[in-house]
Amino acid sequence: MNGYGGKILRVNLSKGEIKKEPTPADTARDFIGGRGFGIYFLLKEVPKGADPLGPENKLIISSGPISGMMVPGGGKCDWTTKAPLTGGYASSSMGGHFTAEMRYAGLDSIILEGISPKPVFLFIDDDKIELRDASDLWGKDTFTVEKQFKDKLGEEYQVAVIGVGGENLVPYACINHDYGRQAGRGGVGAVMGSKKVKAIVVHGTKSIPVADKEGYRKAGMALYKACKDAEGLKDWTRYGTTIVVSWCDEVGALPTRNFSAGSFEDGKNLYGPVMREKIVITDKGCFGCPSPCGKYSRTKKYGTYVEGPEYETIGLMGSNLGIDDIEAVAQANLLCDNLGIDTISAGNAIGWAMECFEKGIFTKKDTDGLELKFGNVDATFKLIEKIARREGFGALLAEGVKRASQKVGKGSEKFAIQVKGMEQSAYATHNATAMLLAYMTCDVGAHHNRSWAITYDLQVGRDLVTPEKVARVIWLQNFRPMFDVLGGCRLQWVELNIDRELYVPALEAITGIHRSWQDLEKVGERIWNLTRLFWARENEGFDRAWDMPSPRFYQDAPKSGATRGQITKLEDVNRLLDMYYEQRGWTLQGLPKTETIEALGLKAMVA
Amino acid sequence: MVGGRAEVEVETGRTVRQTLESLGIVPEVVALVVVNEVQQSKDYVIQEGDVIRVLAVIGGG
Repeated sequence: MNGYGGKILRVNLSKGEIKKEPTPADTARDFIGGRGFGIYFLLKEVPKGADPLGPENKLIISSGPISGMMVPGGGKCDWTTKAPLTGGYASSSMGGHFTAEMRYAGLDSIILEGISPKPVFLFIDDDKIELRDASDLWGKDTFTVEKQFKDKLGEEYQVAVIGVGGENLVPYACINHDYGRQAGRGGVGAVMGSKKVKAIVVHGTKSIPVADKEGYRKAGMALYKACKDAEGLKDWTRYGTTIVVSWCDEVGALPTRNFSAGSFEDGKNLYGPVMREKIVITDKGCFGCPSPCGKYSRTKKYGTYVEGPEYETIGLMGSNLGIDDIEAVAQANLLCDNLGIDTISAGNAIGWAMECFEKGIFTKKDTDGLELKFGNVDATFKLIEKIARREGFGALLAEGVKRASQKVGKGSEKFAIQVKGMEQSAYATHNATAMLLAYMTCDVGAHHNRSWAITYDLQVGRDLVTPEKVARVIWLQNFRPMFDVLGGCRLQWVELNIDRELYVPALEAITGIHRSWQDLEKVGERIWNLTRLFWARENEGFDRAWDMPSPRFYQDAPKSGATRGQITKLEDVNRLLDMYYEQRGWTLQGLPKTETIEALGLKAMVA
Repeated sequence: MVGGRAEVEVETGRTVRQTLESLGIVPEVVALVVVNEVQQSKDYVIQEGDVIRVLAVIGGG
């Protein structure tokens, strides 16, 4: 089948059985790949009510048609599962080189099923596929394990590995790859840990058949040229995601002290150019990327070597904790990566704990003697360890802010900054209604990747509550995650603003199927509705309450910074949601209407 | 002008912010201001001979 490796690898860990099936042609036609394959297998094969950490859950890893190809950004794979953090849909995009190597081994998806009786790693070398003993790797940090494999097997072998966080089933444990890339959110690492899979090692030498070799070559070159000619290429490559730190600080979007404000008085010490000068030693990219956004850093203070910190980590481990030392943020990043926990959820949880401490909800007796005031770097480092090991006070934070605040009470739920149980990522949304709606309705919980809309908010009026804003959020949600379906990176379009039409001939030349962006957004809309139906299926009484934001964003106007005194009204939060449901063809309780399901051709899928 | 490129001569003695506004650019959509290859805020006052680059936040995330 043109454009595909051609095989789905099934690994039954309970029985130790491995088999390959041909990738179904109609699944490839309708769901294309990546995140599309993820939701297809998730809905079909994970039974309703499955325990996310039990044998019935599956971890579905999927590449897409542009993965491993001569197309910019063809370096992403999707990890889909039922999320330990939220009990709903988890889909995490991982960069690096794993997706390419997976394709060269002929694999479109790898599906981990059941639970292994003892720690194993999955070894894939073209057609030699084995489960091997990992008892001597269990307990080791991710960098050590990856290096061990690379030293033994060679640089071409790609490794995805969990840390102690995943082994301990921390609900926001991540999966590490290429030393600095993650499948980060929702607890995909905990699912891998629950199955006792320490790592997946993959290597392949096969080719991907394409429908039109010359067309593929020309379309790929046109895309690379567009990137090369992009006005923002130089600055984007220089700073990566840190390019927006100063801007977010300036417009009140930089989370500060548990999202109590959107500007940080010492924020300038965290800005991209400052970081570049102080700690960055080189740029690092994923497979096939002409605009490497990874910043590889070294700190003199701690002897850190880490890929990062990214904007998100700077926000949540820096300004959100009242920390203005970029070296400390880099070190916190390294600790999280090595232990295998999501920097976003961890930083958000620590920020919540600091606010609790400053309010007297916790004392040093509760926090293992740690003085959890904002700005305490040493306490932050210690907490990261405790969370990953679920020790002492870390055990409470490891549960995530929703469960932790429900346990603690005393009003702490009001400043748990989360939606659907997922900690909000690093954009403060006191007064940015499209971005607020984006967080409320994102399909994995409060994550920014689907509909990043803050520039739009500022262009048209940040407090406006209009059908146009809602339409914008919906369009971005149907469009942006299609890159996760194609198996590539969206940042060439997002950051370099290349013409997305250039992807169309590339995709057609690879797969032999013509798909316009209208066609692709239709697939995006279908996937969006399917993920919504998954949430409803798995959560009794799932309704619009699950889409509500943290009360901070309609109750606590910041007392300082760019958004001082600004807040969204609760009635506007509800108006946004009503308009969103109407435009999506959902009921007022947020469930896809029958006619919407039928119109999208999803009836058979959800029968 | 999103995604495009333009070069203009600007007056000295005004801030970057004022200059953007006079060019019809909403200052809030500018992510980065670099003057003589050093990042500056939008309140920087433009001097004779300065070379100023501004980069818009087109997308993010």
